[in-house]
Amino acid sequence: MLSTLADAGTATEEETRTDTWTDAVPGLADPWVTIVWNDPVNLMSYVSYVFESYFGYPPAKARKLMLQVHHDGRAVVSSGPRERMEVDVQAMHGFGLWATLQPSGQGAAGAEGGAA
Amino acid sequence: MTPFRSTPDGYVAHWEAVERHVLARVARDVAELVRTESGVGPGVEAGEGVAFTGVGRVPHDPAVQRLLPDAHKEDPDVAADFRHLTQTDLATAKIARLEAFADALDPDRAAARVLDGDLDEPEWDQGAQVVVPRDEAQAFAGALTDVRIVLAERLELDDDAAVEQLHDEVIAGVAGDDLDETDDLDETDDGGPGGEQRRYWGGVFVAAGFAQESLVDEMLADLRAQRG
Repeated sequence: MLSTLADAGTATEEETRTDTWTDAVPGLADPWVTIVWNDPVNLMSYVSYVFESYFGYPPAKARKLMLQVHHDGRAVVSSGPRERMEVDVQAMHGFGLWATLQPSGQGAAGAEGGAA
Repeated sequence: MTPFRSTPDGYVAHWEAVERHVLARVARDVAELVRTESGVGPGVEAGEGVAFTGVGRVPHDPAVQRLLPDAHKEDPDVAADFRHLTQTDLATAKIARLEAFADALDPDRAAARVLDGDLDEPEWDQGAQVVVPRDEAQAFAGALTDVRIVLAERLELDDDAAVEQLHDEVIAGVAGDDLDETDDLDETDDGGPGGEQRRYWGGVFVAAGFAQESLVDEMLADLRAQRG
């Protein structure tokens, strides 16, 4: 992800709304996950915009996921039934982000780590 | 090129004629590339909300593979199934917004006429406003992303370091001044773009990034204000 142009100064603006969001945490009832992968082109601000506008995540959560993609190479951004994940993956591809779907049990270490 | 600013009419920037002309042309080239590579036929009119059925074949061009990527890392059946179901819609939507982007910048296709030698110089004024209505901003930003992804593949920008190096080169003023000398994006490059090509397309890549970043910053601010 391209960081040279990105504004790093907004990191803590929205900390008040952290982690009231729980629906992206993979649970036993959620057999599939959507993963977004890092790329060198997409701007950090654009990835944040996608996570806030499409998923409706609060800025702090969107930023946390964006940074996870940037630093760890990927993050789980949503979880749910396969059909729902297909919709999310298609939407991510529409935005120009590279996303994949997979059963939540596969590669669980990396995947689960992305859901906090 | 000035940064986009939020106004009552939408997001507004000033781009010089050559900037509008070059970005419009690149967007049309990318649209054509997606059309060819995705198997969306030349006769298909890209339009909103129209679903086309068709077999989504895997693109050969690595840049288009990035625009229409595999949806599963290890399971080719899941990836093929997904591609079959979604690729035509996805490609059609990308083509539509790239063409809308190009039309917004260069409605008379003057760029093509100038480059084909039919027009001596751009007939539109210098430094004209680019106005992006709010309800079209997401598509405009998406078109910029698709353009940047294709340019990055052609420039062999494989990682963050390569992108940062290019930025440094362009911003250091090594960037080419002669934006009139263009090459088609259609051909996959042989050994990576050399000096002139790299300066030219590197400058376009950086300009597209500048435009996108300022636009997205304003879009994010508006989105957060709405939800505030």
